[in-house]
Amino acid sequence: MVKYFVFLATACWAAALQGQSASDLERRIADLEKKLRLIDPAFGPENRADDLVRRLESLEKRVDELVGARQASAQPQQPPAQDSVTPAPALTPVSVTGDYRASAEAESRLPVSGYMDFHFNKESGDSFRPDFHRFVLLFGHSFSNRIKFWSELEVEHSLVEGGEETGEVAVEQAYLDFFIKPYFNLRAGMLLTPVGIVNERHEPPAYNGVERPFVETFIIPTTWRELGFGITGDLGKGFRYRAYLTSALDARRFDAEGGITEGRTAGFGASFRNPAKMARLEYAGVRRLTLGTSIYSGHTGFNTPGLNPRVTLFDADARYSFRRLDFRALFANTWLSWAAELNRRLQQRLGSDPNIASEMRGYYFEPAAHVFPRRWRTDLIAFGRYEKFNTQERMPEGYVPLEQFNRSAWITGLTFKPTADIALKFDYVFNRSASEVVRSLNGINLGLGWWF
Amino acid sequence: MRMFLGFLIAYAALSAQDASQRKPDRVVSITAERFTFNPSKVTVREGELIEFVLTSDDTDHGFRIPGSGIDVAIPPQGKGEARIRFIASTKGRFVYECSRPCGAGHNLMRGAIIVK
Repeated sequence: MVKYFVFLATACWAAALQGQSASDLERRIADLEKKLRLIDPAFGPENRADDLVRRLESLEKRVDELVGARQASAQPQQPPAQDSVTPAPALTPVSVTGDYRASAEAESRLPVSGYMDFHFNKESGDSFRPDFHRFVLLFGHSFSNRIKFWSELEVEHSLVEGGEETGEVAVEQAYLDFFIKPYFNLRAGMLLTPVGIVNERHEPPAYNGVERPFVETFIIPTTWRELGFGITGDLGKGFRYRAYLTSALDARRFDAEGGITEGRTAGFGASFRNPAKMARLEYAGVRRLTLGTSIYSGHTGFNTPGLNPRVTLFDADARYSFRRLDFRALFANTWLSWAAELNRRLQQRLGSDPNIASEMRGYYFEPAAHVFPRRWRTDLIAFGRYEKFNTQERMPEGYVPLEQFNRSAWITGLTFKPTADIALKFDYVFNRSASEVVRSLNGINLGLGWWF
Repeated sequence: MRMFLGFLIAYAALSAQDASQRKPDRVVSITAERFTFNPSKVTVREGELIEFVLTSDDTDHGFRIPGSGIDVAIPPQGKGEARIRFIASTKGRFVYECSRPCGAGHNLMRGAIIVK
């Protein structure tokens, strides 16, 4: 009976093998050889024998060698444990094809990535000024599949001297993620404030224009990071959220031109007595469409005893791509309570009136077109952006707005990407303000940014 | 008895055909973009042969399913796609994540496969 069974099985397998055409078999062997060369580049075409059987034998031999070498290096001294049988994977890989590149098994290939930003800026009547604006390295580590670390260390303007305003070395972010459920995870450390488009997506190839949008500089003070903790999650159907408690802004450093921008503590000398509360909800359920809204609220008076103004910031933003066109738009509004009292208090201390507004507002929209055909390996993006930003939108009673800070700008330019991660940028900026006294200067910017 | 045995062996031979040659039961297109996978949740049936077609809308990303041995690099926008095939052998929820650092929000670039 057993002999009969073996005979029948062998006959069946032989029939199945014969069913495959020689060309199909050759294609599959060639595919295996190609995959093996990804693991072992030394297994080159010179190893290829003439007939299929020898090619198969050659493949078997090399795979056996690799498996043997890997087992030897993985457990050099330890005998196999009796109970360490690896369970069969619940998702059984079958094949990998396409234009992928082989990557290592785990995130151990993560140790460093980064981005750099190199600019030439010129204002009307001035010469070009070079500036290695940002040199940023990112480090990550996976403690396990549920606990991950991420960080970003930045050097600005290429040189840092003690106490000088020539540059900055900063921990831009450094936090741990604890993944619990898709809809509920924990995060703690130095966090990027989840507001607007650019603050959390500031890699140079990710936005058009040499400099970041004015609205996301003066109304939303990117790069805005604070110490704190919070929750993150994916609610399904494309909805995601982040909600944090963080250190507060410092009202003592608010001013007329930059609004709340200079009030960022970036974790240095920060206060957690009245932690700021912030939340962002994003919808990315439709391909190439992202809608987001953020709210921030926090008291800012830890350096102004007896006075604790509250900053509230609201933002709504959208990104959408349709065929070879991209669109971006953002609106942001900031409210500051006790602005008159804060102005009086700071005037007593500084000797001059900071003229801080009780409301600041900005918005921009940016259409862009990919000029080159999709099949080309390089990309050229032509864009235009209109920005309106006023850090003196509404003044407290008894204060008059400074019209030079009621500004607008048209930015038009090109972004050339020889690869997706390198952006050569050019733009021209038409600056305008409501002031008839202070003249706004136009500017030309050239930039080279890259991500790796 | 002989007929039954012959049928059993023929069935075994057929099911042993390389799954990579079979037409997948389901093909799912997943787009990676800083810092999301779209869709971020994929529901399949137990035993199905699934093919994921992975493309990027910006830089190159990674696609890793911890514990499965699946970890591939997704080429950057315009540079092609990666295709992976796997059999959803067991019911459960399986996380997939970006395994190539892609920026500030890299850690949150995750999704889930639900096998029912």
